[in-house]
Amino acid sequence: MVMFPPNELALPGEILLITDELLAPADFMLHRHLATHLKESKSSPCILVSVSEGIERWKAVAQKSNLILAQYLDAETLTFVDAMSHIAPHLDERTDVPLQTLLQEIKTRLLRLKPEEESRTLVILDDIASLEWIGVPVVEVTRFARKLCASCRKLNVSLIIRHHVTTPGEPDDILKHLLQLCTYHIDVFALSSGRSGSVSGQVALHGGPANLAPAHRFIPRSAAVHYRLTDLGGIFFDRGTGSGVL
Amino acid sequence: MSAFKRRTTAKQPPLPAGTRTCPGSTATVITSTGIPSLDDILGGGLPLSCSFLVLAPDPHSAYGELVLKYFAAQGLACGQRVCVVDSRSQSFLAECMWMPGSNSNSSGVSASAQPASPAVPSQVTAAEDEEDQRASEHDTKIKIAWRYEQMKQFQTTVPSPSQSADDYCRTFDLTCRIPEAVIQSARADERFLDVDPEEGTSVDGRPSSCRRVIQRLSEILSQVASDKSLATRICIPALGSSEWGDLIPQDICYFLHSLRALLRRYPSACASICMPPHLCQEAFGGPGWVQKLGWLTDASITLAAFGSNPSLTAMFSSHHGFVHIHALPAPHTLLPPSDKFSTLRGLTSSGENNLAFKCMRKRLIFETLHLDVEGGVGERRTTPSTSAIAMESAVGHGHGHAHEPRTVPTGGSQSVAAVQVQLEQVQIAPTPPEQTADQTLTPGKPESGPKKAKVKKKVAFTSERPDLYDF
Repeated sequence: MVMFPPNELALPGEILLITDELLAPADFMLHRHLATHLKESKSSPCILVSVSEGIERWKAVAQKSNLILAQYLDAETLTFVDAMSHIAPHLDERTDVPLQTLLQEIKTRLLRLKPEEESRTLVILDDIASLEWIGVPVVEVTRFARKLCASCRKLNVSLIIRHHVTTPGEPDDILKHLLQLCTYHIDVFALSSGRSGSVSGQVALHGGPANLAPAHRFIPRSAAVHYRLTDLGGIFFDRGTGSGVL
Repeated sequence: MSAFKRRTTAKQPPLPAGTRTCPGSTATVITSTGIPSLDDILGGGLPLSCSFLVLAPDPHSAYGELVLKYFAAQGLACGQRVCVVDSRSQSFLAECMWMPGSNSNSSGVSASAQPASPAVPSQVTAAEDEEDQRASEHDTKIKIAWRYEQMKQFQTTVPSPSQSADDYCRTFDLTCRIPEAVIQSARADERFLDVDPEEGTSVDGRPSSCRRVIQRLSEILSQVASDKSLATRICIPALGSSEWGDLIPQDICYFLHSLRALLRRYPSACASICMPPHLCQEAFGGPGWVQKLGWLTDASITLAAFGSNPSLTAMFSSHHGFVHIHALPAPHTLLPPSDKFSTLRGLTSSGENNLAFKCMRKRLIFETLHLDVEGGVGERRTTPSTSAIAMESAVGHGHGHAHEPRTVPTGGSQSVAAVQVQLEQVQIAPTPPEQTADQTLTPGKPESGPKKAKVKKKVAFTSERPDLYDF
């Protein structure tokens, strides 16, 4: 079995961008990162900023891998931020900076956290594409992304941002900005031959522009690793091999 | 007295009427869309707390609205609460189909006070089977190799539910209209609610219909949230039509996004939405529009009808359009239950099946789509296909077949088209069997003697070798 993705992909101060397509959604990647982070130590805090999905799905999927999110929510190790509750009022008012409250909220929570010496803080933003779709101006979204990345770098926090690609091959403006900001980019995309029962999609790993000494070997799209989704997550295998999976 | 105590599970609260738990995921409660084959595609039904978007980009047909009518009719039939978001919700409901029964409106008789009772499904399906039988009669006459004769006929769709499963999905008949009494009683019970998307303008001149509808739906759902015994169906037959004002793509996205958030907050409701044809195109929404819509809803399909494309209609004459699946609901799991449980999609067998729909006289069904037997050079047939066009022609030369059946052609009494057998008979009898496996042409026979006017079968393809042996 291929050891992908490398577990230490989003080290403190690093930004991980995960892009996916409708035919190959990357939920499983986010759940996997959340699970690894919460399991690594008792008090590694995580802030989950969700734009589109509610906490119920996160809880239900995590339960399949024996991770009871309710415990972490009660212990305040895991904080769930419903992004729309901070954005919707401002969208109605048509202010210039509808995302400011959300950013403030995230920063406040980060500053409030006092992580232990060895543990790391993780922030997951799922997803940033919907913000542009529902009417937040592109300029505002890119500024929000930049400010969020800057805050996380300053506070030595790992950040994972998920972005949906709707026009494969033609990056939209937000994606172009995000690509400039990220340290690593996990690219989850569908098979070029369409859907298949045994292979759910493929994953590639790219480095961001500021990544001078990458700790992991990059995987180009032409040699992407295939994965197959099960209820527990994704199983990875080299393309063209069954590796006991198929 | 046994020392063992039976471990009883905690009493689960009873499910709302017309719903059941999803086989793949016990936390998911699903409800029927009114169309059994569509339920199968979705993995058993539409889960509560999920939104379902039907795109129908063909401007010449209204199949999307038909699916929504089934959705509303099913909701009323199993006693759920139906909330229709439309400026003419009453007339939309009045056009819905209903179950065939003694009290339905099919004969135009004034509706009696009793609600229509579901008829015995055998009546409906018997008429259906007659249609199907006539259509597939030619198939039975194909000479099947003896070892395959025992196999059952190839299924292209899921069967209609039997009597025992009637509580979940009722059998609707497109020739019956919903009785007025049913609508009145639903209104009286507050099971039929309607929201009117009036086109207002907000402060900056943008239409505020979307926000107002979301607000109104939020009020309705919070009012009925305490009543857990009834599921609520939100039915939006024409999101973004002219009554909603001039919407831009961001308005539609915001609406779908907020609607889904509403459904997550009140998980005893589900929603079904259809958009008018001009809003389903990329000309309106920009590149990647269909993908965006797929991300913003839990389940999303496109019914691409053949209306404006005569070549597709000719090629797939038994169907009315393609079905493209963009997103499938997975409210509590990573994998949508449809992947494991859908017979139509076929992921459990080999790969994804192509899907199509057809609207028959009494119902709408979704089927797997397969290319017809005819296709390609050198194919062999033993009977003409139904789509072959017969043409009167003096010089006959049917397309040859590599092997002839062992049986000596008799008087053409066995075959459906006497013409073909006669042709073969005429060809075979005088010529000695010189066929090899590779030859796709049999030597033509000299037209001698008087014969009845033969109808020449015109086939859509031609062999690569010209008719060398045609005398």
